[in-house]
Amino acid sequence: MNLEEEVEKIFFEAFPTLKESQFDWNKKQKDYENWDSFAQLNLITLAESKFDINLTLDESISITSAKELLECVKSHL
Amino acid sequence: MNVITDFLQNSVNKYPDKIALVTSTQKYTYKELFKSVKSFSSYFTKFPANSVISLFFENSADFIISYLGTLHASCIAHILPIIISDENLVKQIESAEPKMIITTKQFIKKIEKIEKKNIEKFDVNEIPTDYNSNVKRKPVPENISYLLYTSGTTTFPKGVPVTHQNCVFTTKNIIKILNYSENDVNIIPLPLYHSFGLGCFHTSIYTGATLILHRNATDISELSNSIKNNSASTLALVPANLTKILHDPKDGILDSLSRLRLVITNTTSIPTDTVKEYRKILKDGNFATYYGLTEASRSTFMIFVKAGKENSIGMPASGVELKLVDDKNNIGDKGEIWIRGRNVIKKYWKNPEADKNIVDGWLKTGDLGFRDSDGYLYLTGRVDNVINVSGEKVIPEEIERIVKILSGVEEAVAIGMSHEIYGKVVKLFVKKTSDSKIKKSEIITHFIKNLERYKVPAIVEFVDEFPRTEYGKIKRFMLQ
Repeated sequence: MNLEEEVEKIFFEAFPTLKESQFDWNKKQKDYENWDSFAQLNLITLAESKFDINLTLDESISITSAKELLECVKSHL
Repeated sequence: MNVITDFLQNSVNKYPDKIALVTSTQKYTYKELFKSVKSFSSYFTKFPANSVISLFFENSADFIISYLGTLHASCIAHILPIIISDENLVKQIESAEPKMIITTKQFIKKIEKIEKKNIEKFDVNEIPTDYNSNVKRKPVPENISYLLYTSGTTTFPKGVPVTHQNCVFTTKNIIKILNYSENDVNIIPLPLYHSFGLGCFHTSIYTGATLILHRNATDISELSNSIKNNSASTLALVPANLTKILHDPKDGILDSLSRLRLVITNTTSIPTDTVKEYRKILKDGNFATYYGLTEASRSTFMIFVKAGKENSIGMPASGVELKLVDDKNNIGDKGEIWIRGRNVIKKYWKNPEADKNIVDGWLKTGDLGFRDSDGYLYLTGRVDNVINVSGEKVIPEEIERIVKILSGVEEAVAIGMSHEIYGKVVKLFVKKTSDSKIKKSEIITHFIKNLERYKVPAIVEFVDEFPRTEYGKIKRFMLQ
């Protein structure tokens, strides 16, 4: 599995009700039904544990789309 | 019967030649046991009534004779766990202020390290049994019978002085609810320095039954043979041992268990499957548990008969009041468990701070629970452990229970960790099983599927072992 696929998988794990057709790299936080502050925390925790990285608090709160998470992860690898 | 020493006296009168106690090396009839207790206690009468005598023993006839001998002389038995650290041993001795410490050759060196003055230290075999005493005295119900220190997962252990009347009340309840009688042969592989084991021992001598005392429950083969060879009728085990037996059912243990009329355990969480399995194994016998603290022994009982109630701790025992109080002091079906009854201590041992937890006879247990529509009680966690994540309350025990569903997780502890945005978030420590290859991300995904989002741990850390108290409980505060 490549990095993009891994990050995409994180989204489906963090949002179990998300359907494949609803995933979009540029879709913003406000457009997700369940992306609240706790889901944000789950998303970051999953990414950190999967890639064995530590995101700063600023990075953690600034991520508002799948694309931004992908870029952030890339910068730590 | 009003005091613990009456238990033995009454059984001697009724069944003098019946076997009261069997250990791996010794057998005592009630008459022989009573004689040993009387001669042993004579030396203690040189101390004033209600003096503290510390006992430091493995499960053995020596322990039982020393314990009953102490009570027979109207003294207080301070019972020390043999697995105690040197530091806590000194602290307990300073707090209990005993006149004397008794142990065996095996542990005498540990006791001799205690530097406190004016304490006699004895190997049990060196206590004069021909001490000429003219003192005749008997404890009264209000007297303290034994002193146990609680496990202290959050603070230094608190001394819990249990009176004779507390103990008589509890013992009567155990007998009535679980139908103990003189016909029973009770196998006890539990440490007698713990309230569970000690309560089982009291029950056995109260009813005039036969007690088969084991040092521990680690040898399944020994346990299996003991049940068969002694035609045992009851067995007391902690949940961890019950689960271990199911994982490794060797040497005919399941067949042995099937002969019992009762297996009793205590309220450390019992996996649902374990309860279901034991109900099947016991055939005509009962599988039961109880809930209680050393401060309020055996407050509820649960005999697992009804399907769907496997996680319950049952209902309050006769004469025990129980209420659930929420954080706004409202009484309802959910909240902290408060208990009142003759099983509840009046106060702690020289500890005014801890005494604040007892108000108008109500003991605030610090345990959280709820009651279902049928009136059955369930434990959910500890008040002290609740984690406040951005105003949402998280009970760590729930997190721990959910993660243990995963194979590859042996043990887990959730704590609160400070966080700049959320105030606190959940941090989870996981001890993996030896062959486990589980990944942190798999654990997180499992939580997302099974819990509300705010309960999902923000950090998962793998550990080799957890810091523990002498009683084997995990010291959560050391993980903070």
